[in-house]
Amino acid sequence: MRAPGSDKGVAAGDVLLAVDNVSLNFGGVKAITDVSFDIRKGEIRAIIGPNGAGKTSMLNVINGFYHPQQGRITYRGETRQKMRPYVAASQGISRTFQNVALFKGMSTLDNIMAGRTLKMRGSFFWQLFRHGPAMREEIEHRKVVEEIIDFLEIQAIRKTPVGKLPYGLQKRVELGRALAMEPDLLLLDEPMAGMNLEEKEDMSRFIIDVNNQYGTTIALIEHDIGVVMDLSDRIVVLEYGRKIADGTPDQVKSDQTVIDAYLGVPH
Amino acid sequence: MNLLYALFVDPWVQMGQAPDLLVQTLWEGLVSGVLYALIALGFVLIFKASGVFNFAQGIMVVFAALTLVGFYEMGVPAFLALALAVGVMFLLAVTVERVVLRPLVNQPDIILFMATFGITYVLIGLGELIFGGNPKRMITEQLYLPKGAVEFKILGGFVSLQKIDIAAAIIAAIMIAVLAFFFQKTRIGRALRAVADSHKAALSVGISLNQIWAIVWFTAGIVALVTGIMWGARSEVSFALQVIALKALPVLILGGFTSVPGAIVGGLIIGIGEKLGEFYWGPLVGGGIESWLAYFIALAFLLFRPQGLFGEKIIERI
Repeated sequence: MRAPGSDKGVAAGDVLLAVDNVSLNFGGVKAITDVSFDIRKGEIRAIIGPNGAGKTSMLNVINGFYHPQQGRITYRGETRQKMRPYVAASQGISRTFQNVALFKGMSTLDNIMAGRTLKMRGSFFWQLFRHGPAMREEIEHRKVVEEIIDFLEIQAIRKTPVGKLPYGLQKRVELGRALAMEPDLLLLDEPMAGMNLEEKEDMSRFIIDVNNQYGTTIALIEHDIGVVMDLSDRIVVLEYGRKIADGTPDQVKSDQTVIDAYLGVPH
Repeated sequence: MNLLYALFVDPWVQMGQAPDLLVQTLWEGLVSGVLYALIALGFVLIFKASGVFNFAQGIMVVFAALTLVGFYEMGVPAFLALALAVGVMFLLAVTVERVVLRPLVNQPDIILFMATFGITYVLIGLGELIFGGNPKRMITEQLYLPKGAVEFKILGGFVSLQKIDIAAAIIAAIMIAVLAFFFQKTRIGRALRAVADSHKAALSVGISLNQIWAIVWFTAGIVALVTGIMWGARSEVSFALQVIALKALPVLILGGFTSVPGAIVGGLIIGIGEKLGEFYWGPLVGGGIESWLAYFIALAFLLFRPQGLFGEKIIERI
């Protein structure tokens, strides 16, 4: 994978992605209302909130699955209104999904290799004959993929069709596929949902390692507040599609609106 | 007792007594098997990449062949007509992606399936409008496809092979090998399989669905063109040819909807089974079993291997 800090133009600590006054609705349902926040290069940024707060919608807006009706997204200094998912991918935004979206019939190896799609540029002709430059390219990418497999400690399931794997491992393979894209910004949608304590600890370790070793900026959604407080540098709190708090874990923890949102207000 | 004898013993005795006839029957089965495999291949390609059973595959075969012959009849040289037909299939693929698939993205499979009915009728109308509804002769000589038969003297008798059949078998074999390889080993092949599995995930790793769909439909178009040439050479190019698409169904059930090698093995089993059945067991019921035997074989298969011989096992976790 890429050495840390070798990025195009954005230094650590600068704003990598800014969301300005974004609103998104589906017909009459307001999923996101006028939300602004930013993600700085190199940080772990968490988005939390009760169910239905618009967290996943926010991620979908960032990587181009949804197009907001209002507002702007600025990524690496470039402002855009509309984004196609594969363009987002080619600009270094990769992600995982809440309900694991893997290529179930393909092996772990092929799944992670699929993450290299955009990095492979060999001519189709050579690939067909599995020779010359295409072969070299395949080997080169395979090397990166093996590195990721080692990193995530999933050597043993290299050839297993991912549909057969337990949920916790599927989540790990999905992270592997996202990492294979060598992202500048990694979006994780509930990376620890449905995991037991041990798996959660493993996953937390991987997230921290990715952030430390490769300097990858991470935005994650997570329900386990303990995990979020430990992992993240800064937290955005959404409720009913609006931003109600934004700050360091300590600031957010002591914020009265956040406490109300999570624990309820006496009437 | 007589019936049992006729059913289980007599056919084998006949095969043993006239081995040259057996070889001839097997060869004919093989050839029609290869041609069935070609049609099935068109279905498999599109099913793999979009999970859609493309009802229009049969008419695409006719339309491709019709375009080729139509251009030739307009005075275009044969090989230029071939290139033009390829071009038309490319345009068709791009148009289908743009006009049909893109607006229907994320819809249930059944909606897309219905949309392929629509494509079928558009193609029928378009074909008749441009090239007329009359049956045409395939331009085999102009494309330098061999004609006539070769005879072999083996096993105390004669076996005669049509040269066009030999050519068809070779071309189909090459094409299937290339496609199987393409799916397993190349970047685009991997992307195709990825799209087949999950649109959402494919998008997130930077695969453009639009591009993949256009590629798949174009490939299916090329397969349709080759199929059209081969079938057209055996009979004629007419809209009646589209019913051969129905022959692909048992092949697909047998081989699995998602497997390129499955399409060829399924095609061969159906083709050979059909011919042997017709020749040795047909007389028992007064002949004519060729038209339904394929479905019978497929049905028997369905009981034991619903995913087909090579189909991907469907893994669902709850």
